[in-house]
Amino acid sequence: MAEPELLLDSNIRLWVVLPIVFITFLVGVIRHYVSILLQSDKKLTLEQVSDSQVLIRSRILRENGKYIPKQSFLMRKFYFNNQEDGFFKNTKRKVVPPSPMTDPSMLTDMMKGNVTNVLPMILIGGWINWTFSGFVTTKVPFPLTLRFKPMLQQGIELLSLDASWVSSASWYFLNVFGLRSMYSLILGQDNGADQSRIMQEQMSGAAMAMPADTNKAFKAEWEALELTDHQWALENIEEELMSRELDLDGMFNSKH
Amino acid sequence: RANVLIIVLTEMRDKLRKWREDNHRNSEQIVDVGEELINEHASKLGDDIWIIYEQVMIAALDCSRDDLAWTCLQELKRQFPGSQRVKRLAGMRLEALEKYEDASKQYDSILQDDPTNTAARKRKISILKAQGKSAEAIRELNEYLEQFVGDQEAWHELSELYINEHDYGKAAFCLEELMMTNPHNHLYCEQYAEVKYTQGGLENLELSRKYFAQALKLNNRNMRALFGLYMSASHIAASPKVNATVKKANVKYATWATNQINRAYQVSYARCLL
Repeated sequence: MAEPELLLDSNIRLWVVLPIVFITFLVGVIRHYVSILLQSDKKLTLEQVSDSQVLIRSRILRENGKYIPKQSFLMRKFYFNNQEDGFFKNTKRKVVPPSPMTDPSMLTDMMKGNVTNVLPMILIGGWINWTFSGFVTTKVPFPLTLRFKPMLQQGIELLSLDASWVSSASWYFLNVFGLRSMYSLILGQDNGADQSRIMQEQMSGAAMAMPADTNKAFKAEWEALELTDHQWALENIEEELMSRELDLDGMFNSKH
Repeated sequence: RANVLIIVLTEMRDKLRKWREDNHRNSEQIVDVGEELINEHASKLGDDIWIIYEQVMIAALDCSRDDLAWTCLQELKRQFPGSQRVKRLAGMRLEALEKYEDASKQYDSILQDDPTNTAARKRKISILKAQGKSAEAIRELNEYLEQFVGDQEAWHELSELYINEHDYGKAAFCLEELMMTNPHNHLYCEQYAEVKYTQGGLENLELSRKYFAQALKLNNRNMRALFGLYMSASHIAASPKVNATVKKANVKYATWATNQINRAYQVSYARCLL
């Protein structure tokens, strides 16, 4: 079905498409630095630090236990998993789910998150809509149904216009998500301008905080450790070592 | 002339950075280079100067240059008032002057503000060690490690303290932690093997032979491990309690070790002749 190709004024490209890209990008960079400024330092309690290290130690025991003698491995496994007084069995941490109402620091964090991310997006989106209204900006390369027309063609009242032609507001939103990879390139991985990542975090729930997890983490470690067996890596070390001559190359060269 | 100066400056700066990153403790050199850098070229260093102050201060304390240490400390205090890192440096200076009570109070004040500050806790333990109170130092270090099980530096320090007290069983435990977290470090395997060898007894000798072998496998050129392998194997072979197969195997291991040692001597003769 051949459609009449619309030819857009090249001024649109110069004065609309490119400025919107720049604006989005610069706003993103500004947001990143603002979020750094507004960051409150998280104070970890001694217990949290200690627990995280214990979990690491248990994981190392599971992964590298094969480098220590069997007796030592069993001793440590017993310490962690023993029925009566094993560490993972017995230690229960007080779990206070940090709901936004009770925990003031969480509340301010949420507010800061909203201010730095959602608010600018709304403001700039609205401004762009108002400034660059009344004309078509670009065409998306895939066909869209008519349902998308009111969403993507805000301010253009043409019933017969193909839904693939979109207004500047939708170009702006396209940019917001599209420039995410540019941000990682320039600002490094964990940057505050990454809109979609932040929205994902918000959606997956604010209950990702550590305290609730500690007991579950302990339980998971206990199970994993129970299943681990000791396969001593040094069982046949002499045979392996003596199967060939030692490589003494460069042995008495002076270093530095 | 100005260009020459700039080159010299960058060279000195790079040297200091390399020493910092590699954790070298060549304090005299650091003091020489650092003092000149600070006195002559402070303005051209930019923000690097603060970390250089810290590095030079610690080196100055090592060389008993309290004057230099004091200057560095004052500059840092002026730039970063109320910083815990600077407070720790002040405490270290008090330690160097053997004012252990004052140093201890300094570290206590850091810990009041931030109970998770590991540096201050470790300094307090080093004070006990400097005062020769090894039993207390061991006790404090054990408590510290209960909280911070992942601190490898602390595990190593504890193993040294135990070796000094001849408590080889506990030293072995500490070295096991280190071997698990650093499975490719041949030095920990070698130290562990030496501790086991010192403990003595057939089982420990076998373990020590195995761990000397592991150290050799990780680093073919570890001569100490090679000699250790030879000694432990021959010791087992010479013991009256072993049966014939074990004896034969250990004699084989000892012979192999001897051959390798001979080879190493030949390599060293060849190098001398070059």
